[in-house]
Amino acid sequence: MIRIEVQHLSRLFPFQGATIQAVSDVSFAIEKGEFVALLGPSGCGKSTVLNMIATLLRPSSGEIYIDGARSRPDKVHADVGYVFQRDTLFPWRTVADNVGYGLELQGIKGSEKADRVATCLAKAGLEDFGGAYPSALSGGMRQRAALMRTLVVEPQILLMDEPFGALDTHTKIDMHEVLLNIWDREQQTVLFVTHDLAEALTLADRIILLSARPGRVKESFEVGFPRPRDAVALRETPQYAELFSRVWHSLGQEFLKGRTQ
Amino acid sequence: MTQLRHHLGLFAWQMVIVLGVLTFWQWAFDLHEHMPLLIPDLFDPYFVSKPSEIFDQFLVLSCFKSKLGAWNLAVPGAFTGCLTKFDNNLWFATWVTLKNTFFGFITGVSSGFVLGLVLGKSRRLGEILQPSITAVNSIPRIALAPIIVLAFGIGDTSKVVTSWICVVFLVFYNVFAGARTVDEGFINAARLLGATEWQITRTVIIPSSMAWLFASLTPAISFALIGVIVGEFIGAEHGIGRLIIESEARGEASGMMVAVVILMVIGVILSAMIWRLQAYLLRWQVQTRRGGE
Repeated sequence: MIRIEVQHLSRLFPFQGATIQAVSDVSFAIEKGEFVALLGPSGCGKSTVLNMIATLLRPSSGEIYIDGARSRPDKVHADVGYVFQRDTLFPWRTVADNVGYGLELQGIKGSEKADRVATCLAKAGLEDFGGAYPSALSGGMRQRAALMRTLVVEPQILLMDEPFGALDTHTKIDMHEVLLNIWDREQQTVLFVTHDLAEALTLADRIILLSARPGRVKESFEVGFPRPRDAVALRETPQYAELFSRVWHSLGQEFLKGRTQ
Repeated sequence: MTQLRHHLGLFAWQMVIVLGVLTFWQWAFDLHEHMPLLIPDLFDPYFVSKPSEIFDQFLVLSCFKSKLGAWNLAVPGAFTGCLTKFDNNLWFATWVTLKNTFFGFITGVSSGFVLGLVLGKSRRLGEILQPSITAVNSIPRIALAPIIVLAFGIGDTSKVVTSWICVVFLVFYNVFAGARTVDEGFINAARLLGATEWQITRTVIIPSSMAWLFASLTPAISFALIGVIVGEFIGAEHGIGRLIIESEARGEASGMMVAVVILMVIGVILSAMIWRLQAYLLRWQVQTRRGGE
């Protein structure tokens, strides 16, 4: 069953009097429960594609379908959860109140709210930090809290915009393990935007590679590594090395093209 | 231990400075005739009074002593008699000024907050009213005090209005700026979690503007006090400002100085209270300053 489908998606941006084409005729489909990484060099429009699916941006042309229904540009789909590159935690709320925010919006209160927040905090290893304000946490902890704020309302579709892009390599791998653990159990449909090939290979079932600007779908790679995956050990396997160099070759061409633009 | 010694050292220096100033103030002018260049006649007690006179005047204005210098507390009924007869005594004057400052502060902060929020949120309304706001804001508020006293009389109302007008723009501008610069990321995060427009206003825009509101409270309390005092200068029956004007009319520097010292004490206490309140309300920010990332 297809959960997300985009057809002939394009987006133009006005820029200093001229028009820039950020995304050009992008089409792809994502199956229910599939983990797809949208990979491409910086500035290739991959976040633009994600934001159009999330209704944060209107497409200049093209269509988006979620569960077969055409998505309305002014209405956020109830099943969609979004994780930002920056954590966007509300600094005036404690970590627990941030995580519980989505439940509050739905009118879920009292012990049910408290239980669901506690479960989420435990999943992210933040049990002891519920009462802390975001400013007291490290970057990795904040991003885990932000992930949980999105997951607490149990979205079936997860849109992630380079959520671990600002973290150092080791913290990033910690985050991959947290995310893989959750995904192995809950099997959300995920579209994960990244420019980090290692991250895409660690997490995804399939990599959609976008070209340099204007972003087009250049190639698609199946990532067949068995699950559950070990984010650390996986990178030592020959299969990983083989696929890495194959995708890297294609990504590198786009990276060089983007640089001469 | 070193921490304690550090604080004691600071305290000692602060005491030295205070005592030095008081000593100079009390006795230095006596040397004026011998060294007029070192001590100009600006320090004449006729203009600036001196600590001992100020303290005496304080005892008189607060009804502890009679005008002839006798202790009222020693004579039964003299203290209360003085309070009723002398209707702008220090106690009552302080009470009136504080009360009007409080009301000016409360009305100014709340109306400034609401106004800033509404205009900050509605782009169109903000654009329409922008020139008027800029024009009104460029009037020195104090210049309006005589008009306000004319319109509202010499009672408490005119002081509250003067105080309000000093506070409201300050708070308005802060909240307006705050409501306009709410982080787009916060709004998007809320929207993507399914928040309605009203929920976004209530849970994102208001709390995020609150930080700006709280930041404006310390200057707001000073402005509220300034508004009341100026209002009392123009025309009043009671209050600290009135006390200053009365003493000035009598050429009594000591009376003015008592009022100034009382205002200083009021200012320090109110600021400290606001500071404590602010530190509590903005506790999530304080942590940032202590370290964070």
